[in-house]
Amino acid sequence: MLKQSLFYLGRTVLQRHNNLFRITETRNIKRWVAPTLKELYRRKERQGPEPERPRSTYLEWNYNAELYAFGKRLGEDFKVDLLRQALTQKEYSLVNSPDDDNATQIPHNYELIREGEDIINNYLKQELSKSYPEDIVNSVLEYLTTEKMLSHIGTHIGLKDIILTTEFPVDPSTISNTFKSVVSALKHSQDLPRAEQFVRDFVLSQISDKDVLEIWEPQEPYNYLTKLVQEKGLGPVEPRLCSQSASNTILRCFQVGLYSDKKLLGIGWGENVNIAKESAALDALQKLWNTNKVLRY
Amino acid sequence: MSHSNIFLKSGFINVPLKNGIGRYVGQLQRVVLKFCKNNGSSAGMREFIETELVNFAKSNPGVVVYVKPRRHKTAVIKAEYLNGDSQWLNCRNFTKEEIQKWLELLKRQQINHDGQRIRKLWHTDHPSIQGPWTPFTFRDPQLNLATFPDERLSKSDVIASTSQDELVEMFKKQKLKELQSAN
Repeated sequence: MLKQSLFYLGRTVLQRHNNLFRITETRNIKRWVAPTLKELYRRKERQGPEPERPRSTYLEWNYNAELYAFGKRLGEDFKVDLLRQALTQKEYSLVNSPDDDNATQIPHNYELIREGEDIINNYLKQELSKSYPEDIVNSVLEYLTTEKMLSHIGTHIGLKDIILTTEFPVDPSTISNTFKSVVSALKHSQDLPRAEQFVRDFVLSQISDKDVLEIWEPQEPYNYLTKLVQEKGLGPVEPRLCSQSASNTILRCFQVGLYSDKKLLGIGWGENVNIAKESAALDALQKLWNTNKVLRY
Repeated sequence: MSHSNIFLKSGFINVPLKNGIGRYVGQLQRVVLKFCKNNGSSAGMREFIETELVNFAKSNPGVVVYVKPRRHKTAVIKAEYLNGDSQWLNCRNFTKEEIQKWLELLKRQQINHDGQRIRKLWHTDHPSIQGPWTPFTFRDPQLNLATFPDERLSKSDVIASTSQDELVEMFKKQKLKELQSAN
């Protein structure tokens, strides 16, 4: 921009001179152009990199269009006022409201956050309990509702640019909270099942290609299994050495099977009998709960 | 792979946020069409804006479309994705159809793959279904019924003669030679 305006400035000055003194114009780039541009470049370098600016400060920004596209992109019909409220942080509302009067205060998402959190937790608990016992449900629930996970989801559905907040860059905790409030705004815009479907599609799907044992790992699987078997009323767990290979070498390998009432619960292997027993217990737990089964919804 | 690709950063195809497992979300969140109102190099872009842009915006309500006229600058498409990527595309002297084609590509791709060589057309996080190999994987089921010591199983697989056999052979040859020389 500056470069071009400098060009024009040079040309007009020259044209005026033309009219006054009748100097013939030469067809080349003026000799002052290169040094000027070099100097400008040097000054720019000295200033350092340009600070990152929020997307909303760009010239091409239309907040209403962004709100409209947000709902359409996710395939949901939001009420615009509710969505705007869900995206407004409390601090933003306090700073930007004309006065402290409640009537004129910009509505913010403080209450919506708590409600959204309840919707997410209840729904996930209810869905996970269909397939898993309580211990696993709790740890998977914890995994799915961490600030890191929810902010990851929130960022990837496009919340980062449209959150109304005073901070920049937007904190993960803010994005996570806003995701919760968006869920509750969806409930109020449509109904609870729709909000739950939203949670299912965006939150629950995050464990789709994960092994539950990656998220939930018992410290002592064998002890855990014996307790579980006792609770289930099966016969006592009996570990048996099924096979061994190269037992006097560094490449030794043992295979242990766990039996209960003469039925194989699980089989595992390892470099010594204890490790093999523990890995067999993990295998048995997987088989008991069918956790190998891919989640289908 | 052509030579122009060998210095590109390589990677695998990648879908952000497990897109499509729950529901499919178009990943292009906004697109900015920058053009000049009177320069010839933006003619195709202007024609696109006049005739096709409204249809494009109507059929893609999830994409925010911005139009930004700038004097004496090349026409440019800037696409921004949900994962934070943005792709900048120079559209100098592009025709209307070319712009339509490129916009379609920008709309359909999941992230900015510009400047990246895709190693394979597929990718999996779990390449092995079987799990790690152990000496007991694919073991002959006959071994379950064998009683040891078993003569057939204890036999060596090595068909070549042993050193003991060779010594015996040498000894025999020596004896034969002695007998012949004695005669």
